[in-house]
Amino acid sequence: MAILLNTLLMIVVALSITGVINRTRAVLAGRKGMPFLQHIYNVRLLLRKGAVYSHTTSILFRIAPAVYLAAAVVAVLMIPVADLYPLISFDGDIICLAYTLALARVAIILAAMDTGSSFEGMGAAREALYGALIEPALMIGFATLAMFCGHMSLADIFEHEQSFDLHYTIVMFLTAYLFVEITFVEAGRVPVDDPRTHLELTMIHEVMCLDYCGIDLAMIQIAGWLKTACFAMIAANAIAATCCFHWWFAVPLAILLTGLSIGIVESTQARNKLSRNTTFIVTITALSALIFFIGYLLQLNINI
Amino acid sequence: MFYLYLLLALAALVIAIFSAPLRSKVWVAFGVVVLTTLAAAIPAIGVLMGASAVTIIEMQSPLFGAESLSIDPLSAMMLLIIGVAGIATTLYSRGYLAGYLDKKSSAHISLHYTSLVMMIVAMMLVVVSSGGFSFLLAWELMTIASFILILFDAQRAEVMRAALAYLVMMHIGFVLLVAGFATAHSICGSANFADLPQCFAQGHTMLIFVLFLLGFGMKAGIFPMHVWLPEAHPAAPSHVSAIMSGVMIKTGVYGVIRVLQHISVASELHTVGIIILLVGIVTGLWGVILAAVQNDVKRILAYSSIENIGVIFIGLGIAALGMSSGNGIIATFALCGALMHTLNHSLFKSLLFFGAGNLYSQMHTTMLDRFGGVAKSMPVTAILFLIATVAICALPPLNGFVGEFLIYMGMFNSVLDGENVLAAAGGLIALALIGGIVVLAFTKLYSTVFLGSPRDHHVAEAEEVDTCRIAAMGIPVVGILIIGLVPQWAVRVTNSVMTQFIPYAESVMDIYAGTTLTRISLVALTVIILTTLLFVWKRRLQSTRTVEQGPTWGCGFTAPNIRMQYTGESFAEGLESLSTSLTQNTVEGRTVEKSEIFPSPHNYNIRHKDKVDRLFSAWWMEMLQIINKRIMRLRTGKINHYILFALVFLIAIFLLSILNII
Repeated sequence: MAILLNTLLMIVVALSITGVINRTRAVLAGRKGMPFLQHIYNVRLLLRKGAVYSHTTSILFRIAPAVYLAAAVVAVLMIPVADLYPLISFDGDIICLAYTLALARVAIILAAMDTGSSFEGMGAAREALYGALIEPALMIGFATLAMFCGHMSLADIFEHEQSFDLHYTIVMFLTAYLFVEITFVEAGRVPVDDPRTHLELTMIHEVMCLDYCGIDLAMIQIAGWLKTACFAMIAANAIAATCCFHWWFAVPLAILLTGLSIGIVESTQARNKLSRNTTFIVTITALSALIFFIGYLLQLNINI
Repeated sequence: MFYLYLLLALAALVIAIFSAPLRSKVWVAFGVVVLTTLAAAIPAIGVLMGASAVTIIEMQSPLFGAESLSIDPLSAMMLLIIGVAGIATTLYSRGYLAGYLDKKSSAHISLHYTSLVMMIVAMMLVVVSSGGFSFLLAWELMTIASFILILFDAQRAEVMRAALAYLVMMHIGFVLLVAGFATAHSICGSANFADLPQCFAQGHTMLIFVLFLLGFGMKAGIFPMHVWLPEAHPAAPSHVSAIMSGVMIKTGVYGVIRVLQHISVASELHTVGIIILLVGIVTGLWGVILAAVQNDVKRILAYSSIENIGVIFIGLGIAALGMSSGNGIIATFALCGALMHTLNHSLFKSLLFFGAGNLYSQMHTTMLDRFGGVAKSMPVTAILFLIATVAICALPPLNGFVGEFLIYMGMFNSVLDGENVLAAAGGLIALALIGGIVVLAFTKLYSTVFLGSPRDHHVAEAEEVDTCRIAAMGIPVVGILIIGLVPQWAVRVTNSVMTQFIPYAESVMDIYAGTTLTRISLVALTVIILTTLLFVWKRRLQSTRTVEQGPTWGCGFTAPNIRMQYTGESFAEGLESLSTSLTQNTVEGRTVEKSEIFPSPHNYNIRHKDKVDRLFSAWWMEMLQIINKRIMRLRTGKINHYILFALVFLIAIFLLSILNII
């Protein structure tokens, strides 16, 4: 029962975040904005369409969206919602999670290159580089959690006795911040990537699926939401673990934390120049190493 | 006596292969390799299943006293790796060499096959030798055989150069190994691996370890001794690269593990662990970054071998650190990961080199940016290469992930238990970064070669290779799939090997790794099943709708052509801009100037050379030139200066003789 509820809540989170982002941007820009569920209507529309495939592409191009979505679904099945329990959970599932998401990335990069378009090649090359650079940040983020909580599975990591512990709170908030930053990169949002840009030359994620339409595009979009939900939920879990470790607290937190922060950043900031992106991502990695080190020092202090 | 047998066997082999008709030479070689593998595999499997170590022969060596050939679990595992790769390689060579049969002389082909069999047998001898003379003999035999194999295309100047560089570097390594064995022999009177603990007990651990690490590291290709790999692999025929990269460099790893096995003092293990870990991190990162910026299929694969050696060393380093702190869980996970990665790499790297061989034999080039769209003309090669690509990127559901996962587990356990936290975190960052850049390197390789449209008419007209080669490539694929899908069974191969290091490793594996690996297998299957379901669902939905074909969307540009596709060079451009300090770029031709309104045809060729190359080739020449330039300043061409020099010289002689110095 808890597993089922966990999975359903993850889907709710995945479906809501984009809505919150859109509403936040509309409110901050003083527009009326689109309905909260507009993005879901759009995808439903896509699911009803046929398809046009490029002559250049091979069968790989048609399988890739399925791999992308399958990997994202498996990733979602590994994420616990606060005190609930995920379907897939074992020692080391954090490693498996990172590599499953990498599988998704490889599928979409190869599909983009399969079209033989130089624009999609640009997106693929950027995605590959940024993906490579963000990987250490993700791993070290997980290592910080594992070290501080003494477990190697996401479901156990956030289990914590309810008494207030300053060190624990500090580390958890820092990690939550780290995972929100990683979400910006992985979800392809400002300041790394701008999904609304009108120029293919400066896109990253959007330009990779230029040749997709219909069901394939819908699969890619759904997988994108699921991926975002994974990171949002990890960040929310980290915060919830310090004060109120219940699903009814963590779920709205995940939606609002990520939705609002992405929405606010997108309304107030311009995207980076592409050459600045590597610096931005390496900074996140450096930050993660710093958080790990702080966590290590704080933990040593506890033991003494 | 043993050496006489060896000589006789060699002579018999030479006669058999040289006397066989041209087309059946391969089958003679294949038969010998299969028989040898079977003969080795039967006791090896027995040992791995838990039987005690088998001694094949005991003998008296001319130099170091009593020695033996024996199979313990570690040797047994290596024997299986060598045997399987040997069979696949020999089978593959039939198709690859078919094109050369009428170009090369019969003796040339015979020599090639003799060397191939000799190399495989020599590698087997290396892993069963107890140490000392027979080990060095087998090691040298392996080097010579592989040297002849590299020389197959000796009329090409770069092949000659690469082979000679290989020979020289291998012998520097050989001298270091001789020094290692001689030191051991002089300290404790025996050069057998099994007697190393006595030498270590007398406090010479670090000396002997460093000698062996450098000697074996030369073969394994650890930084900065890796420079022979990216030269030798493109020069050698592809099946030779496959066995050299997949298996031969692992004999270096084997040697290091063998020495590591006998170090037992905790503080020494700690130092050794840190050294191996650092070597692994540097080698891995250097290899993967250089791999990502190369423009030649075989060079990418060669650098990726260096990277994989780095990954194995990271695992070994963590394992040694775990053993030094007495933590069996860390050590078991990391060691199991390192061993599994050794096995895995032999499978997917041979497959990749076979794939590169298919490309070269059909299109006569290995330049990345000439290919494109090969998946349409060579679909089977494309699928097999894709499997190897996913495996080497360490992605679930294939085998590469299993090895790296276990190494990660070792590091996470290390972080968790508060032992060597910073070392483990360093390894973690390095391995994650390596994993990320491998994805970049191999998506670049795969997509430039197999996807998109053909950039060259040779490529467009290529045909699929013969079934014999496909069958040879099928052998590693079976291994990749088994290890990837049911890792909980596959890791049992390493159980008895690990018991040699950690007595209770098997129970640790049962308790901790068993459940975890079962889950991994479930995740792998879930990914595959979900993908299939989603794909079938999509096809069913699409079956009732209009599905059309059209040109690739050109973003409003109406005249895109094939040359405008994203090339491998541009794919890695972002990483290149970050790694300029590691490479030295040589550019031939020039780019299109902005002022050229109607550009004329341009030739542009860029190569990213390893900066470490200079360490071994050019630096002393440059030093000489710099010193020469300094001295040349004295040659001013003015007679008064020369008189001044003579005066200075006389005064100097005068002063020195007054002071009684000369």
